[in-house]
Amino acid sequence: MSNPVTILRAAGLRKNYPSGDRTLAVLQGVDFSVSAGETVSVRGESGSGKSTLLNILAGLDRSEAGELWWGAEAAHQLSLAELTARRGRYLGMVFQSYYLIPELDAYANILMAARLVGRVGPAEKARVTQLLERVGLGERGHHLPSQLSGGERQRVAVARALLNRPAVILADEPTGNLDEATGDGIIELLVSACAEAQAALVLVTHNVAHAKKTQRQLHLQGGRFA
Amino acid sequence: MPWYFYLALKQLFPAGRRLPFFTLISVAGVGLGVALMLVSTSVMGGFGYQIKRMIIDTQGEVQIRGRGPIEATAAMEQAIARVPAVAAAAPYAQGVVMLEFNRRPAFPTIQGFALERMRQVIPLERYLIAGAWSELDDDAVILSSLLANSLGVNVGDLVSVYSPLMLERMKAQEVLLPRAVRVAGIFQIGHQQLDSSTVLCSLRLMQDLYGMDQLIHGYNVRLQPGADPDVAVAALNAVLPPVARALTWFEANADFQAVISFERNMIFFLLTFIIVVAAFSITSSLLVTVVRKTREIGLLGAMGGSARQVALCFCAQGLLIGVGGTLGGLGLGFTLLHYRNALVQFIASLTMGPEVFAKFYQFNSLPAHTESKDVIIIIVFSILAATLAGLIPAWRAAKLKPVEALRSE
Repeated sequence: MSNPVTILRAAGLRKNYPSGDRTLAVLQGVDFSVSAGETVSVRGESGSGKSTLLNILAGLDRSEAGELWWGAEAAHQLSLAELTARRGRYLGMVFQSYYLIPELDAYANILMAARLVGRVGPAEKARVTQLLERVGLGERGHHLPSQLSGGERQRVAVARALLNRPAVILADEPTGNLDEATGDGIIELLVSACAEAQAALVLVTHNVAHAKKTQRQLHLQGGRFA
Repeated sequence: MPWYFYLALKQLFPAGRRLPFFTLISVAGVGLGVALMLVSTSVMGGFGYQIKRMIIDTQGEVQIRGRGPIEATAAMEQAIARVPAVAAAAPYAQGVVMLEFNRRPAFPTIQGFALERMRQVIPLERYLIAGAWSELDDDAVILSSLLANSLGVNVGDLVSVYSPLMLERMKAQEVLLPRAVRVAGIFQIGHQQLDSSTVLCSLRLMQDLYGMDQLIHGYNVRLQPGADPDVAVAALNAVLPPVARALTWFEANADFQAVISFERNMIFFLLTFIIVVAAFSITSSLLVTVVRKTREIGLLGAMGGSARQVALCFCAQGLLIGVGGTLGGLGLGFTLLHYRNALVQFIASLTMGPEVFAKFYQFNSLPAHTESKDVIIIIVFSILAATLAGLIPAWRAAKLKPVEALRSE
């Protein structure tokens, strides 16, 4: 049996933030990897560096030391502009606050992911329709975000993250703004949809029950995984 | 369509929602500026065009002027006729006389023409509103409409004409007898100044009144269709004797044309500031949008949108506002131009009255002449100003780092 392909790997990540006249060491040599199709959760207290780690993994932020690999590509050697150019195709992101564009309906919000990477055709449009069905919003595609509930907005955000068939989905506390039942539904959806799409999932969460839905649970404490 | 252009379009004109107030105000600002620029340049152009048309209709495209009274020699006329650009030329003489009818005096300008030849040069028949040109002979005159009104003269009446020559005779103790002439017709050109104080007569009558014998003051010249007046003037001056000089209609009225052109350019320049102010308003509103949409800008970066593309999204919003405002402004401007006379009459009736308007502004109706060159300048300027207005917001948006933008409250 062949080893699963590592699609995201970080080694020795360090990140400091100035805090008054002190320096706050948020990440102190974090090693991390996720394989294709794997689901991993990252828990930790507030301020433990979960979101910072996710931002570095997504290439949105730079670590002060360490390496980052997106598949075989040394992402730590790329400029932020180069990372931006590759991010849309390689990664999908889901945020706590959904970040849907208020002027676009659900369908157009999802399709925006394809527009951003310059790949909008009949295949992408058909996939948006499929994804809307998959997240249970088949009849709501023409609704604006303001006409959707919090849970529905997050479903749209999940569909948007999956549109470009990314290798990995990075979800930063996607249930943070939702009630428990709705949040549970979103996690179920994320895990199952990623499995169907054969995308890996990195889930940052406070919620133990949600973390347990993933194959591997990590706990960030004192700038390292405990 | 690139995503940044698509998003700019959707943010300004979202589907299924009311037009955002920002879009409405920004487009209206540019539109008003464009409409005002179009109307003002067209009306000023109309004054210039109407004056040009009247000058050409009453003087010809080219005028040959003597440096004093000159003799209309056969040699000079042959030289003029040999210039290829010349279609026809007619001698004229002009001066000032006193006209009297029923003890009402007037002091109009009198112009004497060689009648048959003048008809080949100047389409004066076009302006005749009473009488007939065929009735004009050496004992008749044609009066301008307001002059006829002020004297109370009708076609067929006899009016008395006193010329400067008669004053000379009066000094010599001669008996002063005015020349009684018949009113053969009344013309109206549409220009207050010309309509209020012009008398047309035969060249023979004018020469008699001024004691000019066979002398004339010059020639009115009509050119072949499409001939360049400047080229024609150069050719004429090459063959004319030193006592005469040819001028284009523009040169003959250069001071007046310069004033019209200066006024037109000044109004155009001042009105550009309306669009500049509208552009500042667009900048200000888009800057607020950048702040309001900081997290969305961060999201676009997180999803693969480059800083340059984010900047282009805001520039595109300026461009779209510029295009929308310019199209709306052109529509409004052309509508205002179409109904300009009704509007002016309405405003005049509320303020000074239509007669006062005609008296002071020289025209019976507000002229308008829109040149495509001016429309192109207005379009380019307004769209460019609105697009440039998006540059500062675009720069601010491009400077935002996605990770910081997503974190912003």
